[in-house]
Amino acid sequence: MDMLIQLITAFTGSLGFALLFHVRKEKLLLASLGGLLAWGVYLLMGLVSDQDVVRYFAASVALTVYAECLARAVKCPATLFLVTASIPLIPGGSLYRTMEYFMQNDLGAFSAQALNTVLLAVAIAVGMLFPTAIFQLVRRARVKKPPETPGQERSSPT
Amino acid sequence: MEDHPYHFFSPDELNQLERIEEAGRANEYLYRILDIGQYMLQCGGEVSRVEDSIRRLCMAFGAERADVFTITSSIVVTVYARRFGAVTQTRRITGSAYDLHRLEQLNQLSRRICAEHWSLEQTEEALAAIRSTPQYGFGVQLFTYALVSSSFALFFGGSLLDAAASGVIGVVLKFLDRAIRETDANAFLSSLLCSCLGGLLAGLAVKFHLGDDVGMISIGNIMLLIPGIALTNSLRDMFSGNTISGLMRFIESILLALTIAFGFALAAGLL
Repeated sequence: MDMLIQLITAFTGSLGFALLFHVRKEKLLLASLGGLLAWGVYLLMGLVSDQDVVRYFAASVALTVYAECLARAVKCPATLFLVTASIPLIPGGSLYRTMEYFMQNDLGAFSAQALNTVLLAVAIAVGMLFPTAIFQLVRRARVKKPPETPGQERSSPT
Repeated sequence: MEDHPYHFFSPDELNQLERIEEAGRANEYLYRILDIGQYMLQCGGEVSRVEDSIRRLCMAFGAERADVFTITSSIVVTVYARRFGAVTQTRRITGSAYDLHRLEQLNQLSRRICAEHWSLEQTEEALAAIRSTPQYGFGVQLFTYALVSSSFALFFGGSLLDAAASGVIGVVLKFLDRAIRETDANAFLSSLLCSCLGGLLAGLAVKFHLGDDVGMISIGNIMLLIPGIALTNSLRDMFSGNTISGLMRFIESILLALTIAFGFALAAGLL
């Protein structure tokens, strides 16, 4: 029951942020479904691991693959889906609690919570890096390379 | 004696003049390209995307080489071509708010310009059209604040009553946010006031039995204010090699989070 509520609110929460970020009608649903997917993967990974870092990492990888695929399907920047669908994952609550402990001068709890927040954020950020890099490689292999200017490096867009 | 007495300039000088004229044109083009880059950055585009778009646009407009350096608060571009030499422009970027719809349009625009080699006027018109696309109205934003607040109150385990209280407070915060935004006040001040009011209202709601748990009511509102996305993106920036941008955003989000925690602590102290 708790999980069902979490899944539904992950969807509506992502929907809310998608609206806040001016995502348009046809993409609203896709972006919010991404949030549902991300939290679904997080919950599913609970069967495999009880480490939050691992679960966040897996969820982030899944959501990035989702975002990159959709970006190609509907021809728009992957960021659009990436930002809105990662809403349930982002460690906002954890970040807040960190600062709350800091305000309460509880340094032990503060450092533990700060470490946790940074770890989760790293897990999400690194989780987003891998699929993006792979999609870039595939793209670079498919698209003919434009003529290079000497002394300049090129990176293909996401 | 010269063959043509009416030539005031030697061929070398003429060449020079042509280069100056070309450089002037290149400056005009570069200015528009920076307009696009600046707008992308302000709509929430990643540093790497902005750099890449600017480089492509410069190449499409005839540069032989383009060096772009972008951080969240500034863009520096130098383009070079034998015709006009090196031309440099910088742009200071202030203020950004996610507008993913416009970002998408800008992305499309820059792709089309690159593919179809647009003129300056065409580019300007298209940019003006994107600037004037309507955004969601205030009513939708109110609904959004309520939706996000109550969603996260439930998400973190609050009761339905908490969710309702959080939603109502979210709407009040949106009104406050708009009022502060109109005065052009400091971003930290705005966060401080919003979180302080949020904390006060959550405390009052529980006092008058309109909610069960102050923490659960507040977390919904906190999710609206806390820079969680910025924190995650700052790490993503740093991991992808944009260390300065990442650090700037990282520090900014830590400071914002501190401000918000301070605001709620202040409210708890007042009650």
